[in-house]
Amino acid sequence: MPTDAPDSGLPRPGPWLQARMRPHRHWLLGATAAGLGATLATVALAGLIAWAVHMALFAPERLPLGMVLAGAAVAAVLRYALQALRDGAGHRLADAVKRELREELLDAARRDGPVHLAHRAPSGAWVDHYLRRVEDLTGHYARYLPGTRMVILTPLVLLLTVAWLDWLAAGLLLLSAPLIPAFMALVGMGAEQIHRSQQDEENRLAGHFLDRLRSLDFLRRARATQAAREAVVAASDEHRRLTMRVLQVAFLSSAIMEFFSAVAIGLLAIYIGFGLFGAIDYGPAGSLTLFTGLFILVLAPEYFLPLRQFAQSYHDRAAALAAAESLAPLLQPAGGPASAPAGAPDSPRTAIHLAGVQVQYPDTAQPTLHDIDLQIGRGEHLAVTGPSGSGKSTLLALLAGFLRPAGGEIRVADDLQRFVWLGQDAHLFHGSLRDNLQLASAEPVSDAAMHDALARAGLPVDDPQLPDGLDTAIGEGNTGISGGQAQRIAMARGILARHPLWLLDEPTSALDEATEAALLDTLFALAAEHDITLVIAAHREAVRERASRVVRLAEGRVESLA
Amino acid sequence: MTDREYLQRLFASRLGWSLLAWLLLAVTWVSGIVLLALSGWFITATALAGAGMLATLDIYSPSGGIRAAAVLRTVARYFERVTGHEAVLRILADLRATTFRQLARWPARSLASLRSGDLQARLTSDIDTLDAIPLRVVGPMVGALLALVSAVAIALWLAPPQAALLLLVAAAITLITAAIAATAGQRRGRRLVREESNERVALLDYFGGLPELTAFGRLEEHRAALARRAREGAARRLTQERAGVLGEQGVQLVVMLTTLAMLGYALHAYAEGLISGPVAVLLTLMTLGLNEALGSLPGAWWRLGESLEAARRLRETEAGAEAPEPAGAEPVDLPPGPLEARGLSVGFRADRPLAGPLDIRPEPGYPLVVHGISGRGKTALLETLAGELTPTGGELLWGERDLTTLDPDTRHRVIGYLPQRVRLLDDSLAANLRLGQPELSADRLWAVLDQVRIAPLLQRMGYSLDYPLGEDAGNLSGGQARRVALAWLLLQDRPVALLDEPFAGLDEATEAAILERIGPWLEARQTVIVTHAPRRMPAHWPRLAL
Repeated sequence: MPTDAPDSGLPRPGPWLQARMRPHRHWLLGATAAGLGATLATVALAGLIAWAVHMALFAPERLPLGMVLAGAAVAAVLRYALQALRDGAGHRLADAVKRELREELLDAARRDGPVHLAHRAPSGAWVDHYLRRVEDLTGHYARYLPGTRMVILTPLVLLLTVAWLDWLAAGLLLLSAPLIPAFMALVGMGAEQIHRSQQDEENRLAGHFLDRLRSLDFLRRARATQAAREAVVAASDEHRRLTMRVLQVAFLSSAIMEFFSAVAIGLLAIYIGFGLFGAIDYGPAGSLTLFTGLFILVLAPEYFLPLRQFAQSYHDRAAALAAAESLAPLLQPAGGPASAPAGAPDSPRTAIHLAGVQVQYPDTAQPTLHDIDLQIGRGEHLAVTGPSGSGKSTLLALLAGFLRPAGGEIRVADDLQRFVWLGQDAHLFHGSLRDNLQLASAEPVSDAAMHDALARAGLPVDDPQLPDGLDTAIGEGNTGISGGQAQRIAMARGILARHPLWLLDEPTSALDEATEAALLDTLFALAAEHDITLVIAAHREAVRERASRVVRLAEGRVESLA
Repeated sequence: MTDREYLQRLFASRLGWSLLAWLLLAVTWVSGIVLLALSGWFITATALAGAGMLATLDIYSPSGGIRAAAVLRTVARYFERVTGHEAVLRILADLRATTFRQLARWPARSLASLRSGDLQARLTSDIDTLDAIPLRVVGPMVGALLALVSAVAIALWLAPPQAALLLLVAAAITLITAAIAATAGQRRGRRLVREESNERVALLDYFGGLPELTAFGRLEEHRAALARRAREGAARRLTQERAGVLGEQGVQLVVMLTTLAMLGYALHAYAEGLISGPVAVLLTLMTLGLNEALGSLPGAWWRLGESLEAARRLRETEAGAEAPEPAGAEPVDLPPGPLEARGLSVGFRADRPLAGPLDIRPEPGYPLVVHGISGRGKTALLETLAGELTPTGGELLWGERDLTTLDPDTRHRVIGYLPQRVRLLDDSLAANLRLGQPELSADRLWAVLDQVRIAPLLQRMGYSLDYPLGEDAGNLSGGQARRVALAWLLLQDRPVALLDEPFAGLDEATEAAILERIGPWLEARQTVIVTHAPRRMPAHWPRLAL
């Protein structure tokens, strides 16, 4: 894999996440502004409540209670509306980043072509990255990033307010704040250490249940389901024991948070109480009033709230970093210089002309193909042979344009830009058989033409293997269809496409000899009848004896022409 | 049985752990409320005393109460989380056992659907949703109820009933807001799940079908459709998240407005002389303290709907069951055989048989070799003979009994079936070979491993029987895994052996070496072998071409 290279030039996940955010940072700015506004509304709300109480107790005749309450209600509506805006802006930020990333994943596949795509990850993994991994970024942008701002700004605003009211109370709050993250980090590291020491065992036990489910038919044939069920329970219990060992320590971290905030609020209340009572005559305690005391008391829980929310969003960050690490390599452009397409070959009788073509994959020391000179005439049936690893598939991919050469030039006739491709496993698309056959052709294809093409490919539509005829459903991963059937359906699709160039990469390698023979007979008869140019990579005798010309590759070079 | 009863039965055995967790959650919230309310009362009382408006005040016991509430809250929170997760993980084990038992009773054909990644993912996520019910659904509801009851009790004790009434009204409004938000959210949520599964299929076609799409010039079209789908999906997710945010902040606003109403009422009651000043502040801050408990309701309500759906889906696994779980006990009356097919036709649909009618009665000493090009029903024939696929016509007999009516466990005692692909366990080599017969000696295992020519390989590499095969036998090559499965079959002493391409992928010399060693075992029973290279089988074995 290219990602294993010591100097792969890949950005580190943290800066990568940051860079993805940059074009959309106005949303972060919006979230921060809304959050700050909400904090100010909170201050106003707390002040109005404290003032109302103070006046009601000490100067009830000067209290316009209705107006104060109405003002407080406005502040409350403002506060929660702004908080909703803050969270909404966070989600918009996440949405913008995810949207852009998904577009780029689609484009990366198109830009780099099937060969590089498969080289990096199997198609199932691409889908998983597109759907799940990208989604894993949500928490980072929607909660964690705004959280990093709020965890500074909100306590700062509240601290300034409290300091203005009573600097000793502010000092108490200020002292408790840095202690919390420090202790939490300490405990977090402890939990992480336990988790690391037993991670393999945890993973094995976590996967045990699914593994036994997947092997259920084996278990049944072995008459071992009851024993397996007992083993599932035993594994779950063991998993619980290990998990609880980690959790018991990890929960200490949130307990510390709770402890400090509860104790700080309690201490504040006691300090204010004793101060109001006149039991403390130190510093500003003497000038405390019910208004300032209550004001501070109502603000105190708000001071710790962003810290608590930030701590909760911390695992969002971890999930996003993990996702970034696996997403970034997929978006890297396929390495190496590539020569530009060179137009059509000089002679109209030539289908494809390769001159001095060279291909090198980014992670290999030796070029996969060296100095290939090859001229393929129209209507030729060319077999490309050679031991596995000799570059057959690379040559076919090159002809198909799935790969750009690092050197030399490829000329393909203008009318051959569209072609029929048949790989080792034909990809059938989710839908009906009819949908799959229609795919090859721009114009609507009649049922009769489809029946005819299927029959020619050796799979008559009334065959018992196609229970619902053209409406036979084809599922994810060609479910319900055998390998031989899939190749025949792909061949029928090719027949309907009517393209004069067919490129086939070991189309029969997964088939048994009899099926292979039947398929090849159909293919070569068709090619002869319609003057089709055929290039077929194969290592089997059956292909070589039917071809009009054989090219043998060895270690990336054309070895002999027969 | 309704879904609710199903859940009750499921959680009944772990009720003790759950009750403890709920109680601790309530203690956490109530001590939080007490902390705030008592602090408010305390500073108001001290302010009045300091101003000489209150004659006597014991400032030490309230401050002790404040400290106690602060510590109690922390301790209760910690143990609530520990016991809650203990309950969750215990329920998880129960759920896995129940689900496993139900799936083990599924008919063989339906088990194929378990191989779909989609179903597996859904099953695990449903189990995860369900096991969290006590912690994340019932817990907040019980905790919020207890916190509310405590607050109402305090209000009734200290103030006229209007204060308590106000709290109840606020709780009712919160609950209704939560319920409305959750119902709408769940409806959209179901749509989201459905759309995402469609999107997944379209993506598989794009990334997996890239060569075909490029060749046929359909790439741009497909990409544009996917981009449109992604935009629509993103818009839907955004709406969903926005609804969640509004529900959450909405409930907080309700609690805050209630607090202000309580403040207005309490100051009014104070002015009327019904309550004291400190009590007025206590009532106000107590209401404010309820926001933690009531704020958890939208989430809990939301998850309630999801949980009921997960329960419904998991219960569907029960519906697929066909027979009681194999008990492993000796059945009473099993005829001695033989396996015989009369006029048997096979296929996946009755109106379109793949092969047949066939009369088959393999004799010991003469294994039947089945061959023919792919797609002609060779595998379907073996599956039918194994009793795992219903015949489309004719009779399949064990002695004079209809084989298809035997319960699966009894059937597995007589039929040894080796399909083309066996998914071995992620466990040691020995554990796989001993599956069903834990008492087998190491010598026996080495003997069969030698027969399938795996033993020399292991000895050369210095591996023992404890060699871990890895997930889906990832530590073995495909051919080696098939040979391990074959070795497992050789350890079974069953009167019928049905083998589907047991030598596929092996070179001819290895195949001949294995065949020579297992020939006697194959000839000692009724055997059917499907192969694509019949010429490699002994000449005196009868052939059947499909």
